[in-house]
Amino acid sequence: MIKRDYKGPVENSIEMAIEKISNLLQHDYYLSSRSIAILLLQEDEGIKNLVKEKDAAGFSGIEQIVAGLKTYYKDPISYELAIERQNEVNEILKKAVKFAKDTINFQERLSRLLMNPVLGIPVFLLVIYFGLYKFVGQFGAGTVVDFIETHLFDKYITPFAENVVTRFIPWQFLRELFVGEYGLITMAFRYAFAIILPITAFFFLFFSLIEDSGYLPRIAMLIDRTFKKIGLSGRAVIPMVLGFGCATMATMVTRILPTKRERIIATLLLALAVPCSAQLGVIMALLQHNPIALFIWAGVIGFIFLLVGYLTSKILPGDRPSFYMEIPPLRMPSVSNVILKTYVRVKWYFKEIMPIFLWAGVLIWLARLANMFDLLVDILKGPLRAIGLPQEAGKAFLFGFFRRDYGAAGLYDLSAHGKLDGVQLVVSCVALTLFLPCIAQFLMNIKERGWKMGVGISIFVLFFSFSVAYVLNIALRILGVVL
Amino acid sequence: MDKKIILPLSKLELHKKAKVSHIKTEDKAMLQRIIAIGALPNIEVTLIQKFPSFVFQISKSQFAVDKELASCIYVKAV
Repeated sequence: MIKRDYKGPVENSIEMAIEKISNLLQHDYYLSSRSIAILLLQEDEGIKNLVKEKDAAGFSGIEQIVAGLKTYYKDPISYELAIERQNEVNEILKKAVKFAKDTINFQERLSRLLMNPVLGIPVFLLVIYFGLYKFVGQFGAGTVVDFIETHLFDKYITPFAENVVTRFIPWQFLRELFVGEYGLITMAFRYAFAIILPITAFFFLFFSLIEDSGYLPRIAMLIDRTFKKIGLSGRAVIPMVLGFGCATMATMVTRILPTKRERIIATLLLALAVPCSAQLGVIMALLQHNPIALFIWAGVIGFIFLLVGYLTSKILPGDRPSFYMEIPPLRMPSVSNVILKTYVRVKWYFKEIMPIFLWAGVLIWLARLANMFDLLVDILKGPLRAIGLPQEAGKAFLFGFFRRDYGAAGLYDLSAHGKLDGVQLVVSCVALTLFLPCIAQFLMNIKERGWKMGVGISIFVLFFSFSVAYVLNIALRILGVVL
Repeated sequence: MDKKIILPLSKLELHKKAKVSHIKTEDKAMLQRIIAIGALPNIEVTLIQKFPSFVFQISKSQFAVDKELASCIYVKAV
């Protein structure tokens, strides 16, 4: 083992301090006492607390040594040590490694094009369009989900489950728990396996590709400046992009953000203004024949996203986020790596999400037993009238909470029956996109952010979505917009 | 540009070789980030891009950072 002596005025040198601290350490920390001493000098909080507990007797002496040493240096000891290490590394490198002259090869050229704002942003939009919208949204969430739902579930699994349950459970109310309209098998399992599984599999495949190619940090650096305005850093591009796949999953991924403040802002924006792929699909179907309506919808949602982010970042206390990320070289992703990553992630996600779906199923069953649905639809009538929508839309909104895409599909039925005009369609799409996240996301908000914050965010979203829809409805009517 | 001048990395000319002279920040977390990146005194850096984020190269590694971080790293041209 190479022992490196740290420099400094002799009688106060870092090396002396290390030795003195080592002598005070009695407990066996598994690491050498020298390593522990160096970590203590760097004021590592975890190690400090550990030593305080295990070496209570010597701790005040250690603190004195650290404090004493600090008075001899202008900069923090961790910085002094980092410089020492860096010098040592350079000495070794000088003897051991020869660097080829830097040349700008094809990869580097491509990398700079992707980071260039003029070219990089259009490329980013194309990647999102083809990767997220076409591949994950239309193919994964559309074609593949339809196939699994209609061929596997509607034909085989659901009838089989209904048969078994009807035979063995004599009570209708209990049958409902398993195979009713919102049963654990007919809804929770079907939702998880026929809808979430394919969507997340396709999504994670896309995500692993942009991750392994090294493209992701380049998106983060392009978007950092914009995200700073809403209290987030470029790093938050990861949960935000994930949100277009499944906002519940994205809420879980906000764990990668370094501060609580960033995690709260990201969770709120995901709950409010990021539509998931299931929902996007139906909204696109509703508005596709009406480009101006689609444009208004996207404009309002985009504006709300930025506005709420901006205001939240002004209100929430805490430091501005900081952005730093290594930009790895661009690489051709390895097929086996991408497949393995996708598999591991889907598995991990399932383990996290499955209990939440089952809980949601039980909650819905209880709510239906208590006739809560009719009550809630009744409560929704007033706000719906205020935003100019027929009361039949109440069901769509309520279902929206249990399954975001169900809600949108409910609107689709209303529109197909000619019950909504263009303005009503846009207003309801905006309200539904902003409206409470699905029940799985609601439970995830509570799991990740705690009771107070999770419920708080949901109440805010509830009132805010209707307020925006109210204002939008009045604005469009006053302006005499006909869609 | 005067060769002896010391200036923050955020103000360095693109593609000009420079060496880190010192780090200036009172924020411990910020210093920790800079240590993690390895932008320490006497290390050679080249600025590759300034907008929308700052991208610089140290040896064979590239880093993207925001203006606040880039302004804490002081460099002198070599």
